[in-house]
Amino acid sequence: MTTTRELVQDQRDQYAFHDDIVYLHESGRGLTRETVEGISRFKDEPDWMREFRLRAYDHFLARPMPEWGGDLGTIDFDRIVYYRKPSEREEKSWDDVPDQIKATFERLGIPEAERKFLAGVGAQYDSEVVYHSVREELSKIGVVFMGTDQALKEYPDIFRQYFGTVVPPEDNKFAALNSAVWSGGSFVYVPKGVEVPLPLQAYFRINGENTGQFERTLIVVDEGAKVHYIEGCTAPIYATDSLHAAVVEVIALPGSKVRYTTIQNWSNDVYNLVTKRAHAHANSTVEWIDANTGSRLTMKYPSIYLRGEGATADVISVAVAGKGQHQDTGAKAIHLASNTRSRIVSKSVSKDGGRATYRGQLKVSPGAKNVVASVRCDALMLDDLSRSDTYPYIDIQEDDTTMTHEATVGKISGDQVFYLMSRGLTENEATNLIVQGFLEVFTKELPMEYAIEFNRLVKLEMEGSLG
Amino acid sequence: MTATARPSGRAHPERTRPSRRGPTELPFAFADRALVERLSNDGAEPAWLRADRLAAFQRFESLPIEANLLYTPYLDLRGADLMDAVPYGTSAALMPPATSASVPADVAGLIELREDGVATYALAPEAEAAGVVLETFGQALRRDPDGLRAELEGGSSVPDDRLAQLTRAAWSLGVRVVVPDGVRLDRPILVRWLAGAPSRALLTRTLVTLGEGASATLVEELLPSGPEIACAAGETVPQSLFTGTIEAIIARDATFAVASIQEFGPRQVAFQQRHATLGEGATVHWALGQLGSRLVRSRVDNRLVGDRSSVEQVEIVFGSGEQLFDLTSYTRHLGRDTTGDLLAKGALQDEARSFMKGLITIDKTAVGTDSFLGEFGMNLSRKTRAVAIPSLEIDQPDCRRVAHSSSVGPIDEGQVFYLESRGIPDDEARKFIVLGFLEPVVARVPLAEAEQRLRDGLAAKWEAGRAASAA
Repeated sequence: MTTTRELVQDQRDQYAFHDDIVYLHESGRGLTRETVEGISRFKDEPDWMREFRLRAYDHFLARPMPEWGGDLGTIDFDRIVYYRKPSEREEKSWDDVPDQIKATFERLGIPEAERKFLAGVGAQYDSEVVYHSVREELSKIGVVFMGTDQALKEYPDIFRQYFGTVVPPEDNKFAALNSAVWSGGSFVYVPKGVEVPLPLQAYFRINGENTGQFERTLIVVDEGAKVHYIEGCTAPIYATDSLHAAVVEVIALPGSKVRYTTIQNWSNDVYNLVTKRAHAHANSTVEWIDANTGSRLTMKYPSIYLRGEGATADVISVAVAGKGQHQDTGAKAIHLASNTRSRIVSKSVSKDGGRATYRGQLKVSPGAKNVVASVRCDALMLDDLSRSDTYPYIDIQEDDTTMTHEATVGKISGDQVFYLMSRGLTENEATNLIVQGFLEVFTKELPMEYAIEFNRLVKLEMEGSLG
Repeated sequence: MTATARPSGRAHPERTRPSRRGPTELPFAFADRALVERLSNDGAEPAWLRADRLAAFQRFESLPIEANLLYTPYLDLRGADLMDAVPYGTSAALMPPATSASVPADVAGLIELREDGVATYALAPEAEAAGVVLETFGQALRRDPDGLRAELEGGSSVPDDRLAQLTRAAWSLGVRVVVPDGVRLDRPILVRWLAGAPSRALLTRTLVTLGEGASATLVEELLPSGPEIACAAGETVPQSLFTGTIEAIIARDATFAVASIQEFGPRQVAFQQRHATLGEGATVHWALGQLGSRLVRSRVDNRLVGDRSSVEQVEIVFGSGEQLFDLTSYTRHLGRDTTGDLLAKGALQDEARSFMKGLITIDKTAVGTDSFLGEFGMNLSRKTRAVAIPSLEIDQPDCRRVAHSSSVGPIDEGQVFYLESRGIPDDEARKFIVLGFLEPVVARVPLAEAEQRLRDGLAAKWEAGRAASAA
């Protein structure tokens, strides 16, 4: 109980800094065919990738802006810098990382995190991976964890076999944009039967005003292998809008197990428009553990296509929408094969005029026999300035599916607050505790250090609401 | 070998539905301004009514068929083929009804409309004496034009629905029900629509006004106007269109119950728009049974404006063959301490499909709301498709309860086993379970004869489905 009674200090300025970096290569503002070709040329990519980018660019131009979700009206594609590379080459050793960038990471506490807990670190500073290390023993057993650009050069065969197969450029407008100008992100390959004992972690940041960040992550987990990948984001606060349009592709081959954990805490001027999708093959398990507390607008619906018999999908999605924020999040489970299972749990908190939207899809295709699926959405509204929406789509085309969906919306119970206050907590502490309890379904799935960090983040958000 | 293996689960059976039109294109061609003007001229309508029709037609022209972006992925009008359909004129609506019928003992009033004419009309003397009105729009225009105008212009039709605006622009037949302040009818008013003549389009409105403290029950029966028409091999009977509304204004402390049973023939396309505005303390009960028609697109709107107003809505679907039921409900809470309780259930056989969409909206003013929406499906064959989209939009957290729940599943084999262990044959057990699943609406039909007909209709549909699957 004592830990909850510690006074919460507002630590947000710790994350709100901006270093002046001289960018060695910058694409200039705006998006043209030349921008796309320039990025490909600069990266010295194979022809197929250049053609892939151009095909995506054409589709991006042809595709209208989506109107069904959040307000995208203020995104100005002409003002965005599509590519900048802060240092010349990928660094293997921490000592070689330029001092200024190192200083930024020191302030974010990455090296300590690595020493203590993590199996590997890939930190993204603007658009390029600058630092990567994988523990020696992981390298020895054949686990590949590196920047996506580097992987294109070093593992061209496996890269080409899977890249763009889960999220084709034509999937949606922002997947097309990412496919045209992608840069950075992580590539993970876990060989057959290998279980990665500790989570792999990538730390993402946006720096630089109006820098678009278009990272591309590709995770291939071979038969019977097992991996947990964690990404967390912080970003400096700027006045004008930034765009983050990532694509994450996960391929879980037969019998494998993948968990992908995200803590998204972009600053409140970022548009976070992300396409995350996994293919789950026979008897594999894919888990998306997804938290969204930052950004101005997030539109993100981690998806699992259950393609092989006996595959399992598990999604836990939590969102906190504060002042000026719209969290339009959810999940999709598409059952394409028999004896597949899915479970989606969503928890959202809206306050201070924020808007939390659950948008999800559950589909059982013809031929997928004996599917069991469940969806549970709970929303907590802390005041009547805020808004909460729930939009589930359920489409069942088989006769032996067992599907249940439940959703509730409510406020914090006065009785609960009163009870906790009678035990000596202040009203704010009581509210904090109840919100943390509401989100516990997510927190308990995190590694301990992350759980502590996430609870701090929620406290910070709650503190902000008092000011 | 150039063929590549298909990814598992992608092998769709080839669809054979007509594809010459897109799923969102209108399946008829008769709706134009000239039709609206002709209807108005033929009926020698007053200028205000003509203006009302033309304004509605303008909205019809500018609106998309699905105004709600949430639902555009699930819209499919391809089952309707009405390109040659011809709408009725207004002449019959002006004819006096055949008033000779005596009032059946179990109803307070009865109006039967066969295609474009009034076939039977009766109103109990005590209801008439209490000031209850049951008449066609044609009669109302002669007898009480100002009253009709106030109701139509102040009305309760759906402003952003394209098909509702078409009905408002091009109706040929209207029914008006008025129950004055404090009048409580203990027997229902029966409105029976008989439609289905090939290639005809019948566009109708039903306007209901309940005064303060009034109480009334409406039984709406939607039935085929003639026996099913058989055709030579290779030929199909042209489809028929029916559009119908219930536009209800329910004043303070009034209670309105509706039981509607749609059992049109298999060549019918039905577009239904129902809308209720509830005053303080008012209560509305909907019991809606959907059995017939090739394609149904229905929308029910409840506006809980008055404090402590309350709506209960139960809708069932029993689909077979290639039927598509596209059902949307909008429940909007505006007043304080209002209650919404909505339940939709669908059982599907053969290749039937149901799209059940429901949106609960809680405005900032709606403190103390209790609102629940349930959508439940039972797929009885492998080729069925059940879509459920229960949605919530909440601006006021100070609610008693806001929740929705949805499930789709097969017949519970545990229940079958239980019934079989009691000596009930397998086939009978399954029938009991399915009909029991749909019972909540059946039990709410307040007219014994109509209730029995619904029960028989459901049972017949079950037997037909069994026969089809055995064949």
